Amino acid sequence: MSYLSEHQLLIQDTLNRVLGDLCPKQIVDSAERGEFPSALWGALSETGLTLTGLPEEHGGSGGDPSDAMLVMKGAGKFSAPIPIAENFLGRMLCSEFGLSAPKGITTFSDGSFSISPDGMLSGSSSETAFGRWSDSVVLIARHGDESYLCSCPCEAFEINEKNNIAGEPRDEISIKKKLLDDQFILAEGVSRRARLLGAASRVAQMSGALESILEMSVSYSIERTQFGKPISKFQAIQQQLATMAGEVAASIRAAQSIHLSRELMIELDVAIAKARVGEAVGICTDIAHQVHGAMGYTLEHSLNHRTRRLWAWRDEFGSEKDWQTEIGRFFSGNASGNLWDQITLLA
Amino acid sequence: MFQGLAFNPFTLPPEAEALRSEVRKFLAESLDPASLPNSDFNAGDSSDFSKALGQRGWIGMTWPKQYGGQDKSFLERYVVTEELLAAGAPVGCHWIADRQTGPLLLKFGSEEQRKEFLPKIVNGDCFFSIGMSEPNTGSDLASIRSTAKKVEGGWLLNGSKIWTSYAHTNHYMVALVRTEPASENRHAGMSQVIVDLKDNNVSINGIKNLSGEEDFNQVFFDDVFIPDDRVVGEPGNGWAQVISELGYERSGPERFLSAFRVLVEYSRELTSDASDDQLSVLGRLVAHLITLRRMSISVAGMLENGETPITEAALIKDVGNAYERLVPEVVRLSQTRNPSARFLETLNQCVLHAPSFTLRGGTREILKGVIARGLGLR
Repeated sequence: MSYLSEHQLLIQDTLNRVLGDLCPKQIVDSAERGEFPSALWGALSETGLTLTGLPEEHGGSGGDPSDAMLVMKGAGKFSAPIPIAENFLGRMLCSEFGLSAPKGITTFSDGSFSISPDGMLSGSSSETAFGRWSDSVVLIARHGDESYLCSCPCEAFEINEKNNIAGEPRDEISIKKKLLDDQFILAEGVSRRARLLGAASRVAQMSGALESILEMSVSYSIERTQFGKPISKFQAIQQQLATMAGEVAASIRAAQSIHLSRELMIELDVAIAKARVGEAVGICTDIAHQVHGAMGYTLEHSLNHRTRRLWAWRDEFGSEKDWQTEIGRFFSGNASGNLWDQITLLA
Repeated sequence: MFQGLAFNPFTLPPEAEALRSEVRKFLAESLDPASLPNSDFNAGDSSDFSKALGQRGWIGMTWPKQYGGQDKSFLERYVVTEELLAAGAPVGCHWIADRQTGPLLLKFGSEEQRKEFLPKIVNGDCFFSIGMSEPNTGSDLASIRSTAKKVEGGWLLNGSKIWTSYAHTNHYMVALVRTEPASENRHAGMSQVIVDLKDNNVSINGIKNLSGEEDFNQVFFDDVFIPDDRVVGEPGNGWAQVISELGYERSGPERFLSAFRVLVEYSRELTSDASDDQLSVLGRLVAHLITLRRMSISVAGMLENGETPITEAALIKDVGNAYERLVPEVVRLSQTRNPSARFLETLNQCVLHAPSFTLRGGTREILKGVIARGLGLR
């Protein structure tokens, strides 16, 4: 029995079909060599999946953010080398804070920017995801104690191409430009919101990638023969894969809690999921590589597409340690001992 | 995705949440705040407490009214059990009767057995022990040697059971015994029988665990007469009956709450001057706990829907037990400069009990085998 709605099952089917056709290993490889997978992005745009979970009145495909999490999980499962999460994040922030919808492929830049009251934007960011392939950049700029959400065409930036350890574009970008009046807006609390949506996106992507490496590891253990039998028949291998299955199941469950959240609790649910899934990554990638042996350590095997992304994503938008500290702060100092009361408030 | 790894979100219904505040009120009134509670379900017992709980209708609450139950949902029971454990209530007396014996009798027992035992269990007057392990039988349960031979009007039981918690205070044991010699089909020829622990031919020797407590025992049967009407289910069907208990035994909150009081005391210790490292330890453990609880509630939902989540239950116990073992290990390295005596005592008690977490109810290795089967590896 599925807990997904019919609408979500349709999203999942379409997504799996497009990714299955247009995101094979070669596409991920060529993207890591610098080639934008335009056919893949084009097909996802045509089906509306790049705008899933964004309000229609803001140019989106409608639905709610849990639909977008579903798309990101699927993209993570295939290591899709596209700004699916960043496009959602940048556009969602614009929609929530009242900025008009950005044009084209959109990314979000987490950097150090400032803006003057007349719209003079300056600053830089050292790791802007997919900056070189984007049409618009959404970013947060400060003026004194105030935060502004800004949206700006990519041509306005100077871009220095860099990659993360997964070969995903994480570009240095810088800007000094006067913005038009409709390109920036005062946005209280936008930094926190961006960090939460960003962390939630990475959780979804990681849960998909973890599911994928479990499937790959189980299949490989059944195919690979040593000492005259499939290595899946050895207890040592079975026990490792069982441990991994527990971590993957917990990760998927933690990720699912985000989109079911009541509004007030969303921050804690995201924190819990990023902390829990981030911790699972180390355990699961260790086991997946151990089971795959030397073959999994090569660029030739697609396991590395998943594991390198997992290692990058667990550190982005707050590592597990960062989020654990936040959770700890929330639950600490319970002199009255009401820790349990607080825990049971989270459904 | 693999069978048995999907823990679909499930929310406890309003009637279950409503019950929560009632249970909390009861616990606030009946537990001594100065005592050092322990949420390990096997580490505290009080027949008075069990009796009081029975009077509230919180033992056997899912059972039909005709046997004294409340006809409540499995989810309402879930709330009661997790509240009891989180508060560190002394639940040892009635725990097994409520969790396992009652459901077993309802599913396989005779009408006569149900009428005789269930109302007494519900009242908190009748406590059961589990009779599975033997001196030479641990994880390999099918290798049991305790044997009941057919005699006129019943069976004559000889042999021994071990690691039997509360055998010295409980009234009965449901023992898995051989009623036919072992054959090629290792799982055939076993039966479950109800043994009166006060019988003159039953002798009980306490075994001290490494913390010095004596809550488990070795139980010896020397020509113990088991009347025919004390066999549960069909003779020979014992193995299937034992397996059916496991979904209930392995997925509940007792599989990840055993170390919870350490967390409570630790969160009390962390005041405004706590370091980020200390806060992150608390946060890490809470993140695990909340995720496990959500998984466990998902399984409670499946049980309520009549499903049999064997792999899911094994998985919760495996991940949950690993978590219970982790708690004291990371907390001890992040304690405050001047820890309270209460914190230290709770931590030390947990360290001493921790080895049992990954043994009872199926060892870590057995559980991983069940999960591996769910993954299609065996």
